[in-house]
Formats: sequence, C-alpha cells, structure tokens
Amino acid sequence: MQQALEGSQAIARAVALCRPQVISAYPITPQTHIVENLSKLVADGALNAELVSVESEFSAASVALGAVAAGSRAYTATSSQGLLLMAEVLFNIAGLRVPLVMTCANRALSAPLSIWNDQQDSMAVRDAGWVQLYCTDNQDAIDTTIQAYRIAEETELPVMVCMDGFTLTHTLEVLDIPEQAQVEAFLPPFKFARSLDPDKPISVGTLVTPEFFTEARYTHHQALLRATQVIRDVSQEWSAISGRRSGGLLTVSGDATADTGVLTIGAIAGTLEEAIDAHPPGNTARLIKLRAFRPFPEQALREACAGLKRLVVLERALSPGAGGIVGAEVRAALSHLEDPPEVFNFSVGLGGRDVPLETFENLLAAIDKGSGHDFALLDLQPDKLPAEAW
Amino acid sequence: MGLKITRGSYAEPGTSLAFDTGSWRVQRPVHRHVTAPCHGACPAGEDAQAYLALVEQERYREAWETLVSKNPLPAITGRVCHHPCETACNRGQYDEPIAIHAVERHLGDTAIAEAWDYPIPRPAGDATAVAVVGAGPAGLAAAYHLRRLGYRAQLFEALPEAGGLLRSAIPPYRLPQPVLQAEIEHLLASGIEFHPGQRLGRDFSLQELRAQYPAVFLGPGTQRSRDWAIDSVTPRDLHVGLHLLKEWMDVGSVPDWERVAIVGAGNTAIDLARVLKFSGVPEVHIISHKAIPGPGIPPEDSMPAILREIEQGLDEGVKIHEHRGVQRLILRGEKVVAVELVHMKKLANAAGRLQRVAFEGTESLLEVDQVIPAIGQIVESEGLEALLEQGDYLQADAWGRISGHPGVLTGGDARGDRGTVTEAIGDGRRAADVMDAFIRATAEPAQSEVEQILTYDHLNLNYFAPEPRPAAPTLVVPQRDGAKEIDGGLTTQQVLGEGHRCFSCGNCLACDNCWTLCPDVAVLKTRDVAADGSHYVFDYGYCKGCGLCAHECPTGYIAMQEEP
Amino acid sequence: MDTVIPVEELRRQQSRFSGFEAGHRACLGCGEALAARLVTEAAGPDVIYANATGCLEVFTTAWPDSAWRVPWMHSLFANAAAIGAGMEAALKVQGKPTQVIAMGGDGGTFDIGFQALSGALERGHNMLYVCYDNEAYMNTGIQRSSSMPHAAATTTSPAGRERMGKRHLKKDIVSIVAAHHIPYAATASVAYPSDIHKKVRRAMAVDGPAFLHIHTPCPLGWGHDGAITIEVARLAVQTGLFPVIELERGNLVDVLPVRRPRPVKDYLERQTRFRHLFTDDARAREELEHLQAIADHNIDRYRLEAGGTDICDSDSADTVRRGGARWA
Repeated sequence: MQQALEGSQAIARAVALCRPQVISAYPITPQTHIVENLSKLVADGALNAELVSVESEFSAASVALGAVAAGSRAYTATSSQGLLLMAEVLFNIAGLRVPLVMTCANRALSAPLSIWNDQQDSMAVRDAGWVQLYCTDNQDAIDTTIQAYRIAEETELPVMVCMDGFTLTHTLEVLDIPEQAQVEAFLPPFKFARSLDPDKPISVGTLVTPEFFTEARYTHHQALLRATQVIRDVSQEWSAISGRRSGGLLTVSGDATADTGVLTIGAIAGTLEEAIDAHPPGNTARLIKLRAFRPFPEQALREACAGLKRLVVLERALSPGAGGIVGAEVRAALSHLEDPPEVFNFSVGLGGRDVPLETFENLLAAIDKGSGHDFALLDLQPDKLPAEAW
Repeated sequence: MGLKITRGSYAEPGTSLAFDTGSWRVQRPVHRHVTAPCHGACPAGEDAQAYLALVEQERYREAWETLVSKNPLPAITGRVCHHPCETACNRGQYDEPIAIHAVERHLGDTAIAEAWDYPIPRPAGDATAVAVVGAGPAGLAAAYHLRRLGYRAQLFEALPEAGGLLRSAIPPYRLPQPVLQAEIEHLLASGIEFHPGQRLGRDFSLQELRAQYPAVFLGPGTQRSRDWAIDSVTPRDLHVGLHLLKEWMDVGSVPDWERVAIVGAGNTAIDLARVLKFSGVPEVHIISHKAIPGPGIPPEDSMPAILREIEQGLDEGVKIHEHRGVQRLILRGEKVVAVELVHMKKLANAAGRLQRVAFEGTESLLEVDQVIPAIGQIVESEGLEALLEQGDYLQADAWGRISGHPGVLTGGDARGDRGTVTEAIGDGRRAADVMDAFIRATAEPAQSEVEQILTYDHLNLNYFAPEPRPAAPTLVVPQRDGAKEIDGGLTTQQVLGEGHRCFSCGNCLACDNCWTLCPDVAVLKTRDVAADGSHYVFDYGYCKGCGLCAHECPTGYIAMQEEP
Repeated sequence: MDTVIPVEELRRQQSRFSGFEAGHRACLGCGEALAARLVTEAAGPDVIYANATGCLEVFTTAWPDSAWRVPWMHSLFANAAAIGAGMEAALKVQGKPTQVIAMGGDGGTFDIGFQALSGALERGHNMLYVCYDNEAYMNTGIQRSSSMPHAAATTTSPAGRERMGKRHLKKDIVSIVAAHHIPYAATASVAYPSDIHKKVRRAMAVDGPAFLHIHTPCPLGWGHDGAITIEVARLAVQTGLFPVIELERGNLVDVLPVRRPRPVKDYLERQTRFRHLFTDDARAREELEHLQAIADHNIDRYRLEAGGTDICDSDSADTVRRGGARWA
C-alpha cells in the first residue's frame, strides 16, 4: 500500500509486518523515530510484542539476544555510539549463530561528537560476523528489512540493515508498505533449532580450546560466504512477491559501456545515479551500488567490473592511519583479476557533510588530476585545516 | 577421535560425565564404622547405637533382636545395670546422655508383653549338648548363646528356680518379681533344658560332666561369705549382709534393730541399707573406706555401688560414712553396742599395692546394736576343689578359660574380677563363642582388640540441636516401701525421642548431609541400605577428594584415606 | 536380597532434580559449585538460565562437555541480567510458564554487570537473579572486586608495607537492590543449604524480579582447605559478617538469627587472605577491630541477635534427622 511516510516510520511498519515478539529499545539520534514508532504500534495494539525499554544499547542487544535464544523473533535498532557500546554483544550474537535483525541508522562516531550521517559506525564492526546490507533508499530499506529476517533465519546469522541516518530515516516520501499477507507468504513463522527449551536442554556459549577454535571460527566464516547465495535467492523471491526489483548483492546501472565505474554504498548511490543519468552519454560511468558488504561479494564484484579500466570507490568512512575501508576490500578483491581496473578510492560526506549532485563531476575531475590513487577525501576543504602539525 | 564442532559451539546436556574428575584425587572418602562409645563401654557387648537407630525408625522388634543378639535379659539389665554406656555416651558432653537403660528396659518389657521369640534357631535333632552349671546371669547367658550357636544347652541349678542373685539378692523396688519371672521364663522357653534342684558336688560331679559333655561352663557365683572379724572378734549373732538381704527377699522382714552399721561399699551394702530403712530400722549407717562417686573422685577411690542407688539411699535417709573403717567392736557381753570408727583410706604401699590404712588419732564411737559385714563373697568350694587350688575364685583368661582344664570355662562373680550382672552376661557370651570353637576344633574367634572408639571431637555438632533427656517417673521418698518399683520407665514416645537424640556415633545416620553438600555430585543416595551399612555411595569416578563430606558428617562415619 | 546397581544407573535414579551434573572442573570444595547445584535442584526443570562469564560458566562448559542438564546460555561478562530479561520477555509473549534465572558472580553482579542488573530490576522482569559471591574475581586469578570485604588481600589489593589489603568496604549490594523495591531480595549461605532451597522456591513463586545473594567461599582465593568450605561459610554468618536476611519491596521481613555471635577472629584466622591481620602490627590490630565493629554493626542493623534458641537460627537451621528430612 502506498503511503507517505518518514523513513523511520516505514521501517517501523516493515518490522511490525515481520511480527517480532520482543523489541528492545534504547534511543539514539537518528534512530529514535524507529523505536518511537514501534512503541506506538505496540501501545495501539497493532503489534503484539514486548517492548523492553532498556538502560543502554549494550543491554538492548543483550535483551534481543536473550529473546531469540528463548525462541522469539526479536528486533532492535541503533546508531553510532550505541552500536559501539553493543559491539561486544554483536560479536557474541554472531559467534553463537543467532538469527537477529537490527537496523543501524548510520551516523558518525565520536570523537569529535557528531549526530550526522556517515558510515563509520557500521564499518567499525564489519568484523563482528554479521551480514551487513546497505540500503540505497527508504523503499529499499523496507524491502531489505523484511528480507533480512528471511536471510537471518535461514542462515542462522544476524543481519544488520544499514540505512543512512537523517538522509533516509528523517525523509518523508511516498513508499509502498507491503501487505501482511505478502509477508506471511514470504516469511515462515519463527523457528530456531537451538532455542533454549526445557524439553531439549542444551548449553550455549561454551569455552572452546585451541583444539577446536579454528574450526569453530571457520564454520562461521563459511556460513557468511555461503550467505551470498541466500541473499541472492531471497531477493529474487521477494521481487516476485513485491513486484519490485530489490536487493541482491549489488546492482549495476548507468552506462554499461563505460570504461569507468563508480562503486558506492548507501544513499549517495541515489545521488550518483541521478547525476549519471543527467550526464551526457559517452562520458558517464557504470554505477555499481554495493548492497552486501558482509559477506563481501567478491565474485559478483569481479563480474560487475568486467571490462572496466578505472573503478572509483566512493565511500562514507575512513580507517584513520590506513585510508578507505571499502576501497581496500575492493582493491584486494580485484587484484586477482588478470586485467584489473585501476582503483581510485575516495571518502565523501563524513560527519553528515552534504553530497551534492556535483560530486560526480568532482569525482571525474579528481581522478583525471590523478587524485585518489591511494586514498583521498573528495570534499576536503583545505583552508579549514590548521597550520600547525597534525 | 571423531569429534566435530557444533554450530555455535553448543554442547549437549550432562556431557561433563565424560570427564573423569576422580583422577584429581589424592585422598578419598570412605565409610568407616567406628565403635560408638556406648558399645565400647557395655560389659555385655551390646551395640546400643545399632538398636537405638532401629528404635528411631520405630522398628522396635528388630531393635530388641539386635539387643538380644548380645544380652538376652534386657528387661532386667535395663533396671539393674549401672549403665556405663550412659557415662560414655558422647551426647553427655553436648547436653545430656541418652537414657539407654530406659530404652533397653522398654524393649525388654515390650518383648515380654508381645511374646516376641528370641531370634535363635531351634536346635537340630542331632545337635551337640553342652553343660552349664548355675542359672544366674552368667549361666543363663552362656546357655542362651550356646543355643544361638546351635547347641543344646543343659542348664543345671542347685535352687528350685533360675536367676541366681537376680532372684535372691536384688530387691523388688529395683527389680520387680513379676518382671524377673517373666523374662527368665521367656528365656528358658526359647529352648534351654533347665534342670533345677541339681547341686554340683551333691548331685553330680565336675568329672561326670566333663565325661558326658564336650565342654562345660561354670557359673556358680560366690555362695560363701568371707570370714569377717574385727580384731579377731566376731559378734555371736553375726549376720552376713548378703544372707540378710536374701532372707529379707524371701521372708520379707528383718530383725528388730534400732541402729545398724553395715560395713561395705558395694551394691549389697546399699541394697541392704535401703531394705533395712524400708523395713523400719530407724538408723542405718554404711561404713565405707571409699568415697561416694562424683567429679574429682578417682575411680579407685569410688564406692563400687551404683551411684543412683547410693543417691536414692541417701534420699531415703541412709547415712554414709566415707573414708571410714571399723577398728574395734564395743561389746556388752556378747552383743555389739557400738563400733569404733577410724578414718581410713586405701593407699598404695611402697610396692604399689593398695592397702587399707587407718589414721591413728581419728577414732570415734558410733552407737549401734548390730554391725553387718557386706564385704564380698567367695566361691563355694564344694564340687570345685580341683579348680580352687589357687584361691577363693576360679582363675580364668579374658574368654573365661580355666588354665589347665581345657573345655572348662567360667564367668560371672566366680571369676573374682567381676561384680555386675552385665559383666556376667558378657562372660556367658564370650565363653560360648570359645566353647563353640573348641568343640568344632576351629580357630578361636579373633581376640577383640580395643577397637577405636568414636570420640566426641569426631562428631560435627553443628547439625544437632540441644534437647533435654526425658525424666522417668520416680516414686517420692514417702511412697517408697521397699516393695514398689521406685524408678518407672519411659513412654514409647519418650523412647522414640531418645532414639532421635542419639548421635549415631560412628555409623551412618542417613541424614543426607554428604549427599546435600557434595559440590561435585559425587555422592549418590541409595534407596536401600548399601553393603557397608550406609545409604550413600561415593562415585569415585568424579569424587575429587575435597573432604567436605567427611568434615560435615555429623557422626564421624566418613574418613579420608590416602588414595591407593 | 542383595542387588547390585551400576553406579551410572544409580546416578539416574537419584530422587532430586539434577540440573547440574558431575564431571565439572571446579576446584576441590568449591562453594559456588555447591550453590549452583542447590539452586538448580530447587528450581526444577522448567527454567532457562543465563549465566555471566566467570568460574561457574568456565568450569561447567569446556566444549564439548557441559555439566548443565537445564537449558543454559552464557553470553558475556556484563549482560547476564539483560540476557535474562530478553528471555523473560520472549517467554511472556509466547505465553509459556517456563521461568528464567540469571546468574553471575560478584564481579558480574556488583561491578561490570551492575548496570544490566539495575535495569532489569527497575523494569520489573519476572526473573530471579542469583549472585554467587566469592568476594573477588576468582576465575582470572583472585583480583579485587567491590564485593570484597574490607582488609582482605587479593592479587590486586595485596597486603604490604603501605597497605593492609582492600581499603574500601564491601559494597552493600542488598541495600542497592532493596532500593529498587523489588518484591523479594534475600541473602543466603552455602552453609545453610535448606535455606537456599527455600529462598529459591520463594523467589520463583514471586511475580516480578527477585534477587538472591549467596555467600560462596572459594578455597583457593580465600586460602583455606576445601574440606572446611562449609565451616568457613557458617562462621561468616555466625560472626555477623554475612547477614542472612530477606527483604520484600525494600523492607526487612526476616533474618536468620545468630544464636551466639562468634568473634570475627574465628572466621578470619581460617583464611590466608586475612593472615596479614594477625601479625604484630598496630594497623593489623586496628583492622581486626574494624572488622569486628562491622560485624557488630550488622548484628545491630539487621537485629540478628537471637536472644534464645530458634529452630531456624544459625545453630539449628540445619539440624539433621535420620532419613534426611530437612525443613526445605
């Protein structure tokens, strides 16, 4: 059903359609509207769930974990500082192979303090062992949220649905909210083989010695790698039901013949897509919108880059002392190709700096000038830099 | 090995059982039955702890059967024994000792009332017969135990009735006639062939017995009075204490005396003194060179009489002169009119032997019209001349064997080193065991060494709560007439309560402490009693030997042993 | 008739619920292992457990072995109460009667897990939280926690020339918990196993959060022989240093009276973690007096002095009977 909704509100509705039994909530800008909307749904009886207003994000993740362990579908959402506070729990959830879906409303990390959008937060926990999917727009976020439960429960891996804070969460637009029946057809009732049951007691969270730890870690790693297929299959299935193209590991659009490609992740893909479409043909670029960051879709990426001479990775985070994060992983993935494209790596829009349509032009100009060979901040304003040493 | 990591590394329940923590042990807990002090102290060898445990479970018949596996006369001993078990009882150091004698009495009385059979087999048709001379406590016990061992017991007694001193010399206010009668009849009815009116020496000889029977037990008691004289003077109308007592038991009265002095410190002296009081003699004095037993009085200086009898006697007005002796008799003509008392004690001489010493300068006069010695008896020599060459008593070893006379054993007062009913009963049992070995020419029973006794410090008293000992009803002095039983018994409820109060020293109380407190789930509880008498099994596959169970066992039944 | 039952079969026939099995790797005489066994057997089978990181979790679940026969989960050090809260929320929505018990040591309860505990109590989850208090971070090798008693020595609060063990006082967790006004909070000791049984059942019967703080000696960390774990625990109660009390909605409703308070010396001298207090040193003497004053204060504050004999007091609460009947 088409409705004009704020992004957060839409997410709340999508989550409600999946009928989680337990929602844990701790407020943090810009996620707050999601949990507020969910609270209202519960209060109005539109959603039969226990909404646990916890005392920190560490407990939010723990409560959600406990709920799934006890056999209920659960949900929580967070951003930035909250995501880091629950970092310990994230690793724990993934290592225990517990199916949980969480929305991360991407926001910059302190220090310095910022409430505005970049992707440093979810990037900082990329090694936690979760599936990480990045949404390009709010419709994508709705569809991805629903698919996330399916992916999680099939692979027994937790799924983090990343959506840019404010840019997506606080934007009002007309969105299609699926029908309950569609979700019912797509998402079976929650069943978790290792839930805690007095009739079939097991011990979860054991100590594993060096004798078996490698194999334990390996199985987790393999599960994530194989999730690429599940992500693909699930998005196809949902496409059939929803009638929309949605998901997959990545999407290729723009100029199929161009020998320059731009790879990006998150909402700025929309900006770039618009800019590329507006560009005169012949001097545009292939646009690769990366949806799955974990598992890292190596194979799909290589296929998407076939024939490219240059690839510009445009991302929303920075690993201080190293450089780009997505860029580094892309470079590594493409290095096996016989004739890999030259990879340029830029970060843009850190701490919520606006990414305007001109970004595409700026990007092309920058690489022509030779910038970004290793890594550069595309929108750096040097006159704001201090004179003294770093 | 084949073990494969599970998804999320979960584990199946209870799989820790695959890990053998028992390999960590350097010491292991074992169940170790240690003799309870009551058991160790009983001259008859009764395991009071064992039957108190059965009493606590209201298994009274089994309790009685356990008791009579050692002592067949509990209704009697429950009344007359000086109960060293109670003195030894560990509970005495906590609050008050268990009233074991009252439990014994109750079991004995119940067995008679319910006509429970003694748990001994009927003798086989071809069972060997053994002779027992004397149907006092020693002889009765010997005959019973021989029957228990499968022999036919031929019990010969000079008097028309069985009982010995039990019948003739223990006053009815201590041991009522009906009780004595009932218990002896009950015992004889278990299959002892009783031949009354048969006197050794007069009617048959020891030689004849030895020819006819493979072994002989002699329990003749001490029927002859010691000669008594003070300064070579004996009153013409001398009455010997024991005989006077017997006469009173028989006839019911005593001569008309005003003031009597009894010389002696044993049960006979006290019993006689009390009997005289009950019979109306206004003044009764006991002259004893020993002291009334009490704290600070060493055993060698204590009057051998039972303390309770002494105390009751004092209540009744008997006067006891401690550390005194009679130095001279003051006569008028032939009659005694006074005795000269002197301070006297038994002291060790230079050679270490105890001797009576009179302290010059401490003389005093006590006006009496009769002086009665109650200084002990010796064996009547008729028929036993061959065995009495050494002296006044039948010399025997710990089992009762008379050296130089294989197959002839003795027990009870005749040995000379006894003085109580219970010791006599114990002698009867020990002799029977050895006679059995002798007859079958098997190895004799192992000499029972002084087994380790469970001392107070081995108990864990944190698990017991103080509770007073019940007081049995006792006749007040004005109601005592010499005929009515003075000390009553306890009710069944009170007896059961004493069973509850028993600490179960050295034996499993089935209290569940070890089972409750083991952190390693290595103590398992059994439904039935396990082979070692406990209700628990140590699972040595997992027991780490921490010692908690041993430390917290209330009864001292668990000991830690070095791991083999 | 003689019957021989193999020990494995006898183990299966035990007449109490076994949620905690043999073969775990706790030290000899571990008070916490005993307490965990007592808690699981009193709680019964229809419970799921959330356990914080610490000795208990480590010695029971070295993969593939698990000593637990109940559904059990260990997540992290600081979140037992939050995991439990999530489990409780799930079971509530599912409409199942299964209950939740969250467990942690003093580290995971008083310190690192404190926030999650407070949050769970405040939100009123129908859950029992059990704290096994051995008064230090034992699993990591005996380091100071806020639960440690004053003047005790650990590796991070050792006694030396400048210091006499822990400077600060034992954190008064019961008062803090009481301030949440939860329906039921209690302290208990492994020296009184029937009392633990009773309190677990009472807590499970309560609707809402319940908290049970169990004193569990650690032979290794406290410095005493494993065989006297119960004796040491009992002395802590009998000196007044560890009051055994019950509170409802923050108000004191019952105590285990102390029949005849023992001097704290009796308790302290049995443990090497206090041995520095028995040297010939004025500061040591002062600390002994301080600890005695704390014990006396506890006796006053909680009115622990028995004034007579009570069958449920510190000297009679575990009176045994033939056949094993206990009052709980």
